Amino acid sequence: MNNKLKVLRAERDWTQADLALALDVTRQTVNAIEKGKYDPSLPLAFKIAVLFAMPIEQIFLYAKEA
Amino acid sequence: MSGNGKGSTDLDARINQSSRSLFLCTTAWVATTAALGFGPKLWWDFDVTLTLIALGLNLIVGIIMLTANFRHLMSMDELQRQTHLEAMAITLGVTFVVTVTYGNLESVGFLEDTQPTNILFVTGVSYIVAIIALWRRRTSE
Repeated sequence: MNNKLKVLRAERDWTQADLALALDVTRQTVNAIEKGKYDPSLPLAFKIAVLFAMPIEQIFLYAKEA
Repeated sequence: MSGNGKGSTDLDARINQSSRSLFLCTTAWVATTAALGFGPKLWWDFDVTLTLIALGLNLIVGIIMLTANFRHLMSMDELQRQTHLEAMAITLGVTFVVTVTYGNLESVGFLEDTQPTNILFVTGVSYIVAIIALWRRRTSE
């Protein structure tokens, strides 16, 4: 699954630590999601969508695995 | 595996509290295990009542330790939790395979006296190795 988390975070001038604090997760989790190494749970994905005030499908894009 | 590198958070506080609780429960379990292991011979001369009390206490504290471990797992953030659960799955598989092979070594005559406690060592090591490997794979910058 691809996502625009890094772009959205950068647009707001937030660090990974800032975003982690807002989401109540570790900075490593934010980093892993941004790098596509970890797909967040549905509750966390919705939390991210609410935080950025965007529909979830505009942040997370389904991509078929190779 | 905890911490955002920026002050104290709810997550940090939650993990610290559950870690303390797990530490206390584990210490109590080790103490009751030691009492059960050494008590009958060293302290109460194989008194059946006292041995049964020590056995019951050991089981009860063991169950409390399991619930503390579960609460600790639930207090983690989801990446940490998934890492631990995957490490547990790997450890279960490794333990199963090693136990069967180790048991067979005795039945085919390669070993004379297999000790079940050796399996605990394998379990512990494989859990630690799995956690480190999984965490590094996901969090490498």
